[in-house]
Amino acid sequence: MSGVIISSKDWDEVEFTTNPTSLGTGSSGQKLHTPIRGWASFIATFKVMFKEEFRKNLEFAKARQIILFPLLLSLITMISTIGLQFLVGDSAAHVKDIESKTFTWQELRFALHLPLLMFSLGMGTFAFMGRDALIRRTGTKNFLLASPALQPLPNSVAHFVYFVKDLCFYVLLILSPIIVGMFFGIGLEPLASINTPLEVSSLPWTWIAMVITLAQGLVFSFLVSALWMRGRPYTVIGPILIVIFGISVGTRALDLNWFLLGLQVQSSQNVLMAIFYFLLCIILGYLSSRLIIDDFDVSVVEKGDMLKPMYDRLNFLGKGEVQLIVAKEFVDLFRSGSIKKMTVSYAIPLLVLLGMAWIVDFADAPIPINLLSYAPFLGFFGFNFYSWLTILDSSEFMNGLPIRVPQLIRAKVVVYFLATSWISLIFIVLMAWRLDEWASLPTSIIVMFANSIYIVALTAYLMGLRPNQAIFDASIMIWFWLGTVLPLLGLFLLSFTQGDVSLYGNWWERTSQDGLSATASIYDESLVQQGYMGMLMISVGLLLASLLLWKLMDRRWGDAHFDN
Amino acid sequence: MGEAEVPLVKAIDMAKKYGDFIALHPLNIEVYSGEFFGVFGPNGAGKSTFIKLLTGQLRPSKGMIEVLGINAIDNPQKLKANIGIVPESESPPSFLTPVEFLEFVATLRNVENSTKEVEYWLDWFGLEEKRNTMCKDLSKGQRQKVMLAAAFIHRPKLLFLDEPFANLDPIYQRKCRQWLLDHVSNGGTIFLCSHVLEMAERMCNRMAIINDGKVLAAGSVKGLKLSSQETLEDVFIRLVGRSIEDVERLSDEGISEEE
Repeated sequence: MSGVIISSKDWDEVEFTTNPTSLGTGSSGQKLHTPIRGWASFIATFKVMFKEEFRKNLEFAKARQIILFPLLLSLITMISTIGLQFLVGDSAAHVKDIESKTFTWQELRFALHLPLLMFSLGMGTFAFMGRDALIRRTGTKNFLLASPALQPLPNSVAHFVYFVKDLCFYVLLILSPIIVGMFFGIGLEPLASINTPLEVSSLPWTWIAMVITLAQGLVFSFLVSALWMRGRPYTVIGPILIVIFGISVGTRALDLNWFLLGLQVQSSQNVLMAIFYFLLCIILGYLSSRLIIDDFDVSVVEKGDMLKPMYDRLNFLGKGEVQLIVAKEFVDLFRSGSIKKMTVSYAIPLLVLLGMAWIVDFADAPIPINLLSYAPFLGFFGFNFYSWLTILDSSEFMNGLPIRVPQLIRAKVVVYFLATSWISLIFIVLMAWRLDEWASLPTSIIVMFANSIYIVALTAYLMGLRPNQAIFDASIMIWFWLGTVLPLLGLFLLSFTQGDVSLYGNWWERTSQDGLSATASIYDESLVQQGYMGMLMISVGLLLASLLLWKLMDRRWGDAHFDN
Repeated sequence: MGEAEVPLVKAIDMAKKYGDFIALHPLNIEVYSGEFFGVFGPNGAGKSTFIKLLTGQLRPSKGMIEVLGINAIDNPQKLKANIGIVPESESPPSFLTPVEFLEFVATLRNVENSTKEVEYWLDWFGLEEKRNTMCKDLSKGQRQKVMLAAAFIHRPKLLFLDEPFANLDPIYQRKCRQWLLDHVSNGGTIFLCSHVLEMAERMCNRMAIINDGKVLAAGSVKGLKLSSQETLEDVFIRLVGRSIEDVERLSDEGISEEE
């Protein structure tokens, strides 16, 4: 027999049965290949994926800048290493009452591992990334993570390689430069009469511990995203795990120190423990990848018109392109289902801050934390949300429309503000309630929103539509660092005038004499007022700076093409 | 029953549904060796879904699919390793060069003499000068050549091509067309999806026309015509539901508006 036999039936005409037996096809003499499996496919994919990652980052930042990024990181760490002597009790030997007025090593280690865990939790949603890559594979950009759709490579292998690749990439680009910076910081000791309490012998353990924390964050996030993507009943397991974890920490049934595996390793310096935790992360990564099935379906979904009603609801933005683009961005947010993921990921760092306000007692440390100290940080987490907004949809189709890049950037900033401000507001009110500082709530709200708008305006101005790549550009990183840290530090320090500790008033005079055990001898109401005014002025300054950046957006991005 | 008598491709009641939307109605198909079979239909007719189901890129909502003796639902990797697929609108990974992508594909498929094959196909498609250019910086036509090379690199006998000549210049269209015809005369089998009817006339020995996820007609290219005067375009328009008069009327209205 030869030729082709083909026929169709109506859907209802067929009673579907599954017959497990062979349908009787053959290869017509073709020798069948067996695709490579296991370690061989891992290695082959890892090589090209690592190259892809490097080039992706290189594409935005020039080669020089991408080399400068780890150098910059080393420099910052070196300076921080020198500054450690002012924070750790062990080295501030000339002051009395050291134990209660300084941070312990354990607290400092905690301060190293917790943000690292937060960072890696944000970067590890590989199952979501895989889905995005798959949906976008017919667009202008295609990534290896989508290759299982067409090539003889299981989706699980591609995702596991992606996890290992990201772990290696961050270790090389972020963790190792930090350790190098610490090393040079210690090296300056004999040269500049600096007395840093860090020792070279502790650096390998610090590196190992940080790798484990990074791996832990990535794998936890990977696992939750893989469970979510797997569908019911797996979908509910991730959120249940997070809620159980949150309640356990909140009720102190679970010690957060215990959860930070890297911190345990660094404290104990136990080789077996380090190997066990690292392998645990890798095995969990492997198991997470096994949850990812070879499903390349991109559903066809029909929806009613959402753009027009959304556009009408945004009338308060004033008629114009921004209103229209904001409406389109909101439609993207809802239709892609990203609104839930983004809201959760925005709320997690805020939850951590709330947890800190709840759990961590700074009363014994020389930092009088209060509600106004938290406010600028609440506004700081806009970067991640804005980054996510830029990767929601390819913007290249806009190249053919009478729209310019700055208009889209502005629209994304507006979307950010509209989508997140209510979350930040809830958190600041919760914190005011927890800290019982209702009096400073109005100022805190102003500080928080000013900071929030400014951070996102700065991010948008410096990084445009590609913040994920731009963050690895050293020159942009320097400006971003200066632009965020300086006002943040100013607000943070000024907030100390508002708390129940009046140290700030004569801080310099007192600390010169008594070091970290200094206490205020003058408590002046006018200082409180000056502090208030200072914070309000910085906030107004930040709003004005945001306005300026808003205006300058045209100059910086006016000639750019839509390409995210 | 000898190997020559069994089909290479067979599906029973293969169907695909997205929610309430039926992308492909239950369909039975058998394709035997040495065929150049084309599936034609208007945009959104279900052609790409059809090809994706047969190549293990999509799981059917219902039905069974077997290709080259491999169950497409249970073992899509093995199937993908033994067939060539050219997708409709997919580009090679943006940040790899053509040579890197072809090496990667050849390694995954366990191709013997992979380096030699990579060089051969780079040369065949005239991509030598662009071998180290990242795919994102290639023109659409060049990217399509890379995708074609990736489908041919392991020399599969069975090829699934979805709009394979999109963006190719006339020289390479002719070169590829000739290569595909030679491939079939040498015992290869090709399953092609397109809406370009000229391809059916020039290349296919059998074709099917589908619309709304259903096969409307199938047979030899000549056999589908009602008369010798009828063109394939007439057949297509007749079958997909618009009378030729309707189309002519629309064309006339278009012309008179312009006038």
